[in-house]
Amino acid sequence: MFSKDSKLEKFKDAETIIGSSIRVKGNFQGQGNIIVEGALEGSLKTDASIYIGNQAKIVANTEAKDVIVNGEIHGNIKAKNYLAIGGTAKIFGDLQYGEISIERGAVINGQLLMLPEDHKRGEKIKTEEKENTPEK
Amino acid sequence: MHVYIYDDYLSKGKYHKTINRLEIRLTDLGLNGKIIRLGGIKNIKGAIQNEIKLGAKTIIAVGNNQTVNKIIGAIIDTDLYGDFQKKTLLGIIPIGDDNSIATSFGIKNEAEACNILLARRIEKIDLGLVGKYYFLNQASIQSSGTTIVINNYSIETGEKGEIKIINLLSDNDTGIKSNPHDGLLDIYIKTRKKDKTCLTAKKLTITSSENRLLIDGVMEVETPTDVEIMKDRVNVIVGKNRMFE
Repeated sequence: MFSKDSKLEKFKDAETIIGSSIRVKGNFQGQGNIIVEGALEGSLKTDASIYIGNQAKIVANTEAKDVIVNGEIHGNIKAKNYLAIGGTAKIFGDLQYGEISIERGAVINGQLLMLPEDHKRGEKIKTEEKENTPEK
Repeated sequence: MHVYIYDDYLSKGKYHKTINRLEIRLTDLGLNGKIIRLGGIKNIKGAIQNEIKLGAKTIIAVGNNQTVNKIIGAIIDTDLYGDFQKKTLLGIIPIGDDNSIATSFGIKNEAEACNILLARRIEKIDLGLVGKYYFLNQASIQSSGTTIVINNYSIETGEKGEIKIINLLSDNDTGIKSNPHDGLLDIYIKTRKKDKTCLTAKKLTITSSENRLLIDGVMEVETPTDVEIMKDRVNVIVGKNRMFE
């Protein structure tokens, strides 16, 4: 289930943080974990995880391995591995995910579509390979 | 051969004792070398370039951030730069105020600087480039009315605060771990709302209707201007307490 503590642990060393007073326009693409607390318009993508804070307002399609949503999103979300939707989330768009958890109070206006099992497995294998590869 | 470049402000009386103490310490450690005093030289670039041509193994900036920037400015983008990068090390002996570059390299004062020169712990360091000006530490600008464009997106804030574009971290307050040999600039935005923003980029463009970009706390540049990173440009002698790994 959705846990704030696990979020904080995972995003403690996030490479990218968009603060609550910041507005981003365009195609934002990162490689590490991303935290968004501000406004973003365009698209949002990373190979790792995205945390969308409860003050965030996003008008964009979002794609990542794991996505945690607490804010407002107008656009589609694709979480190849895990999608966690918090109680303060407002989502206006379609959701694609490997696994999902939804907290009570969340607003979702869109279709929910589970990604095929092999797609999900592929992502998991990739993740395990990454974790098992010794750092150079 | 060591070449010590003394900045012109060191000729002031209040620094005499410090300089005497420094020179005695350098002699004791067997690190003495040629001294060039910038105060009496009109062609600073020429003087520094000449020492590299003559085969200086270590160029040591004795002074503050401006001294370091003068030396870097004298060698980068010249025919000598290739030789400098291969054969010459840059050392720093901080004296007086405005020494955040030395602090970043883990050099607190002139006494510690002598021991660090002796230990010769060497790091390849990236340089930031703003237009035609190079910087080691950081460039900063007020956030209000400023837009940053990176690749396919732009960033702006209406809040008052400060944007720092960091190559080499000079204070630990930001909480970010800037690495001056990762080939990336760290962009750090702190506003009065006390929220923080940090991200990295190789190249960006800054535009501001109200403010100028301040480079290493000493030089102001008009916007719009490009800021980019030049990887592994200078070999620097650093202390073990440096602010990066």
